[in-house]
Amino acid sequence: MAIRQGLLALLSRGPRYGYQLRTEFEASTGATWPLNIGQVYTTLSRLERDGLVASGDQDDQGRVVYSITEAGRTEMERWFSTPVAQSDRPRDELVIKLAMAVAAGAEVRPVIQAQRAATMRTLQRLTRTKRASTDGPAQTLVLESMIFQAEAEQRWLDHCEAVLAASPQTQEKQA
Amino acid sequence: MSFEPVVRLADATRVHGDGPQAVHALKGVSLEVAAGELVAVMGPSGSGKSTLLNLAGGLDTPTSGSVTVEGTPLTSLTDKERAALRRRRVGYVFQDLNLIPSLTAAENVMLPRELDGVRAGRARREALQALAEVGLEEPDRFPDELSGGQRQRVAIARALAGERRLLLADEPTGALDTPTGDDILRLLRARCDAGAAVLLVTHESRYAAWADRVVFLRDGEVADTTEAELETAR
Repeated sequence: MAIRQGLLALLSRGPRYGYQLRTEFEASTGATWPLNIGQVYTTLSRLERDGLVASGDQDDQGRVVYSITEAGRTEMERWFSTPVAQSDRPRDELVIKLAMAVAAGAEVRPVIQAQRAATMRTLQRLTRTKRASTDGPAQTLVLESMIFQAEAEQRWLDHCEAVLAASPQTQEKQA
Repeated sequence: MSFEPVVRLADATRVHGDGPQAVHALKGVSLEVAAGELVAVMGPSGSGKSTLLNLAGGLDTPTSGSVTVEGTPLTSLTDKERAALRRRRVGYVFQDLNLIPSLTAAENVMLPRELDGVRAGRARREALQALAEVGLEEPDRFPDELSGGQRQRVAIARALAGERRLLLADEPTGALDTPTGDDILRLLRARCDAGAAVLLVTHESRYAAWADRVVFLRDGEVADTTEAELETAR
């Protein structure tokens, strides 16, 4: 999870209270990754243990300001400069489902069409959200990421359908 | 807003040729687009998208079934009447922009109106208004002085100038990068919200997703339709 590095990135702009970090994290990611305040404080105490952040004294309301350390900045820069590995992503159920449908000799076309319609509804919903969005560029980028992923899935489904339609094995089954 | 759709295809079939060589380009497709609606048509090549668009705009006539534009059944018209209705009621936007290079943006928008007998002064006023509505601020520039996105804006203005409110768009984002393509869809969406009816053919789902309804064509038939979820009142 990138919560550690995300908090470091927010702290790199200046010292923050825990609850501020939570608000800013959600504002930047369009509430795609809601954080509870407990997660924020747990993460902050681990970051402090690892020497990546430092906490100040409690103020009279019992609040503690956190700031990033030099080691914390180095960690954040390392994170930004390291690409995310493809294998870190979870396995995709849809891919397995289609592969199994082909392997089992099931009718694949209805599976593809049902998925295509469902993903299109998702895309329509995301696009509506994008149209209505007045939030900053960070949130819009998060939305765009989901739009591109849905779009990639649609293209892959089109590709599967075209390949299966041209394959003599699957044509026999559909005839 | 009237409940009569701007364009309606009812059980429209188009067969090219006959006998064993007959090609069924479209098989009994029914589709309506109302004022204020954006409907996208998706499908692989050969699925009937272009045939559907040509029928909707009166460029072609169905072998059976009917096509009605603004309440007028196209099959009841002579070729000449159909051409007139097409000119007055239907606007087209294509991937290849088809702007005339030796005419300015405003002149390009004026041209079909002048061909239709509208006087130059009025045609220019309409053109300037249509160009303002699509956000083009340089009406006196020539096409090659405009960016791809701006040229497509001119094509949309031309399609909707005058009293036309049916816009047929065939891959209007084809040559554009995604932010510019999104701008074009944002604009089409805004023209819909202002009362136009748009039928959009695209193979890119990111653009189809701007529609109220997405129709999937397969082998000349409607395979599926997705409606955008209604916005919940909050």
